[in-house]
Amino acid sequence: MMLATIESALDDIHSGLRMRRVWIALAQEDIGDQHRRTALGPLWLLINYFAFAGTFIFVIHRGDTSTGSYAAYVATGLLVWFYIMETLSQSVSLFVREEGFIKGTTLPLSVYVMRLLMQSAIRAAYALVGCIVILLLSGTALSTAWLWSALGVLLILATTPAAIILFAFLGAYFPDSQFIVSNIMRIGMFLTPVFWSYEGSGGVRHLLYYWNPFTYFLEIVRVPILTGGPPIDSLLLCGAIGLVLWTAALMVLGLFRKRVVFVI
Amino acid sequence: MVSIRVSNLGLVYRLRKKLTLAARDRRLPTGGRLEGKGRTQYVTALDGVNFELTAGDRLGLVGANGAGKTTLLKVLYGIYAPTSGSVEVEGRVDALFNISLGFRREATGRRNIVLRGLMNGWNMDEIEARMEDVIEFSELGDFIDLPFKTYSQGMAARLAFSVATSLDPEILLMDEWIGAGDPKFQDKARDRMSELAEKAGIIVLASHNHALLKKTCNKILELENGGVKSLHLAEEWAASA
Repeated sequence: MMLATIESALDDIHSGLRMRRVWIALAQEDIGDQHRRTALGPLWLLINYFAFAGTFIFVIHRGDTSTGSYAAYVATGLLVWFYIMETLSQSVSLFVREEGFIKGTTLPLSVYVMRLLMQSAIRAAYALVGCIVILLLSGTALSTAWLWSALGVLLILATTPAAIILFAFLGAYFPDSQFIVSNIMRIGMFLTPVFWSYEGSGGVRHLLYYWNPFTYFLEIVRVPILTGGPPIDSLLLCGAIGLVLWTAALMVLGLFRKRVVFVI
Repeated sequence: MVSIRVSNLGLVYRLRKKLTLAARDRRLPTGGRLEGKGRTQYVTALDGVNFELTAGDRLGLVGANGAGKTTLLKVLYGIYAPTSGSVEVEGRVDALFNISLGFRREATGRRNIVLRGLMNGWNMDEIEARMEDVIEFSELGDFIDLPFKTYSQGMAARLAFSVATSLDPEILLMDEWIGAGDPKFQDKARDRMSELAEKAGIIVLASHNHALLKKTCNKILELENGGVKSLHLAEEWAASA
């Protein structure tokens, strides 16, 4: 029973991967459409990133001596956080947005999942350019430790489809969750060490720092660049979270992929 | 060899009372039978449907609104999974419902053809091979390189029709006979549809147009409330109706 469920999910994912041209093309169109008729096009994604990073670096943190490393801290934090926030907020309404396709075609659900992953990744790529610019301007030296950050990025990308699947089904079966998730993601920016750091403070911050799973997904990208060493514990923890999410996602996809059409 | 074998097919789904504090959505499904009280209600959209089709068969589906025609087509296509009984389909299935689904306003006609082709599961070579034919049939000329949103409704419909019918169908499912455009294009569209119908191994066509069904189909399945009311050869049905 459980095997059949997972097999059904893998079927869906397998045919989704075979149709990669579809979701790559659709994601490109999506990004293009959002910026069509604007002079700067997708560069607005970069500008938006700079605006946020600049606000934190120059307004929130003025006058401190360690501005250089704080800039790197915020730059990496925002890069990962924006990606997570955008992906999860979009995930909850994914199947509802794709209702026409789901009720009118036999495309596997993973096509929509990968389309969203692709969109988010393209957006994040613009922010990544901004992130690297800030890192170099703030005097962070390019080093082999950045490869650990790259590994962190890969781990995040590999975990994303599972998270999208889970949140998409959540949103389809419990429409209210769309608002819950979008609220949490907005507040989450402040509850997660995106622009504040732990550095010995106690109380609520301490709890938020340690018990917030997002912390660790930020750290696997941020820590190698800031300290030059691999964040082994965070990497292992994120890997474990990824495995749990994937197991759950395969079960949910296998169980509900043929039923979601009756729900939306 | 193409074939469709449907045995004892049933489709029952639960009407979900969504977990929400907002006012209840009181919309009801347009067809089927509604059973159950209170929190759980079930819709029986299809119940005990049996038929077999082999190469050369043209099945017409008739019945009142909500009898289950479209649902049956969607089960055959694979959008709905049956909840009881079985559907065995041999051959590639193409469907012509909702032919304008997924056209992108900002993309050019040409790009839309590519996107639609990819969604149909064609590879780039197949798309390239059909491209000129589709463009020519749609009579869009130079407009093909302009954004879809600049098209008139008729032009958009012509493009949708041209892409959707650019198939070599083994099994073709249709929800109503489709057509598009001005009278001249309609003639062309009719010819193209007849051609498709001749090429296809099996056709299942849901329609209210009895004259069309008599002309096209050799078998008629009449549905009522999700069940089979009668299954006739077309001549018998024409004589009795």
